[in-house]
Amino acid sequence: MEQDLRQNSQPEAPGCGTNNVDAILDELESAGAPELLTRAGPRGLRGSLQALLRMREFSVLSATILLFIALSLATPLFPQLDNILLVARQISILAIIATGVTFLFISGEIDLSIGSIYGFLGIVLASLIAKFGFNPWLALLIVVIMGAAIGFVNGTVTTRFGIPSFIVTLGMLSILRGGALLASGGWPVMIKLARDDPFLNITSGHVSGLVPTQVFWMIGVMALGGFVLSKTRFGSHVYATGGNQEAAILAGINTKWIKTINFMITGALCGIAAALLLGQHRNAFPLTGTGYELDIIAAVVIGGTPLFGGAGSILGTFLGAAVLGMITNGLVLLGASAYFEPVAKGSIIVAAILVDTLIRKRRV
Amino acid sequence: MEQPGILLTAVNTTTPGMIGEYPLVELRGISKAFGHVQALQRVDFCVFPGEVVGLVGDNGAGKSTLIKIISGAYQPDSGTILMDGKPVTFHSPRDAMMMGIATVYQNLALVDQRDVAANIFLGREPTKGIVIDRRRMVEESVQVLQQLRSDIPSVEVPVGLLSGGQRQAVAIARAVHQAAARLVIMDEPVAALGIEESRKVLRLIKQLKAQGRAVIVISHNLEHVFSVADRIVVLRRGRLAGVRRREETNAAEIVRLIVGAEHL
Repeated sequence: MEQDLRQNSQPEAPGCGTNNVDAILDELESAGAPELLTRAGPRGLRGSLQALLRMREFSVLSATILLFIALSLATPLFPQLDNILLVARQISILAIIATGVTFLFISGEIDLSIGSIYGFLGIVLASLIAKFGFNPWLALLIVVIMGAAIGFVNGTVTTRFGIPSFIVTLGMLSILRGGALLASGGWPVMIKLARDDPFLNITSGHVSGLVPTQVFWMIGVMALGGFVLSKTRFGSHVYATGGNQEAAILAGINTKWIKTINFMITGALCGIAAALLLGQHRNAFPLTGTGYELDIIAAVVIGGTPLFGGAGSILGTFLGAAVLGMITNGLVLLGASAYFEPVAKGSIIVAAILVDTLIRKRRV
Repeated sequence: MEQPGILLTAVNTTTPGMIGEYPLVELRGISKAFGHVQALQRVDFCVFPGEVVGLVGDNGAGKSTLIKIISGAYQPDSGTILMDGKPVTFHSPRDAMMMGIATVYQNLALVDQRDVAANIFLGREPTKGIVIDRRRMVEESVQVLQQLRSDIPSVEVPVGLLSGGQRQAVAIARAVHQAAARLVIMDEPVAALGIEESRKVLRLIKQLKAQGRAVIVISHNLEHVFSVADRIVVLRRGRLAGVRRREETNAAEIVRLIVGAEHL
């Protein structure tokens, strides 16, 4: 019986059958059944243009390009390779954490404690190396695991007890900031590694004396994140979880676990980010990462990932981070007051969402 | 006390081509209570392969409870479920799904932001290694939608952009595709739809029947029930009020069964 059904449901040669079902199907077919396209919209150049317009990342992509052109025209220093690489390095740490936050946002959760996790893990990492004599790589591994464990706590409290992640992670933000201050006594923790120590080179050196290794870390993390999100079942389930949790549960997806894993990914990436910063400064400061969550969330939101989940992409987040990085850099090059930076960033965030909303309204 | 044979025989003699065959799913003497509310009381029910059964009754008559028992969401307090004549027990909707019973929920359970193919394969995405086999998803989605003669423009459109009837088609396509469903249960499939859209969904139901699948449709709209159902099962206050073949009854009789003859 079941075999019969399978055969019927996947006809090898439509129209050749002799049984009743095929006859009825033929009849319906001749009655003018609509043709089904596998791709949306027309093909060719017009199709590609439409696909581009339909892309979630369209707004932020245009913003990135426009900003790049505007800054290049405003100051000849901006488009030079040195400066581009500087901007790339400056956004690397932010973009790495923002990758985890993108996963979280798409699954419909938020993490406000990222700045504190980042700062706290920096202190722990520096202390493990400086005070307890750990091998830096082992210390890095420990810190990444600790980050995942903190994420596990955030995720478990959020999903098992039904407390909004906004509240849970707000609490974690405070707890870990206090933790960083307690663990360091309020003082910076300095690590004493030789200038040519591989840990320093790999976390914050340069490849062929030019490209900062942090940029490679960013590319690696984002490429992996983008792959998982767009190509794997896990990624697909992340979208489903944030898009319609009830439907995801009915389809057998363990949404609680998906969300918890996303909190863990975010925490672990904070650990990597802390190591990249420590390699750069060789000092960990207990107040590092204060207010950083807002910049990171801004990058994710500018990148087109909505706060309420179900959509978004790593490419968008990368472009969002690039926009923020270019603004900071551009203002410095233009000699604007540093106090103007938050004003510019805030305006860009609102403008980005506004443009995106207007385009979306017209499209649907 | 239980006389399952009567119902079975009655149906067998009046369902052409089904003589001697077991019902696809048969319920015998099913009872289910929630607290001290008796939702179902010794209800007998059956559906044959390729048959469309309309399940009707007033609010609280026990329709939803009955289909939730068939779909494995509820377990009966007493009574037997048989598939192909053999007793079965469903501990969860997953068990029922494994046996070829798929349910289209009233709210459709679709993810609006995801495209048609992703929704049809929701939670069961095929993979090649660790990568989702997107090509297979698209091809099979097109296939199953073509079988249903659906008018969805593309399987790569987010379902949020589709009309109510098209969304219904996606939900039905998913149900059909799951384990090559032998029985599709639909709870109020046209309740939220316009006339033209309703017609399309009713055509989908006929399409399922033409493919040899059984369908149970819950609906408040008797006109729709009469247009697709081979048999109409009426529940009243948790009891079986009557079973009629479509040709042998009319709306007035069904309404009498629904509200209870003493009220007219």
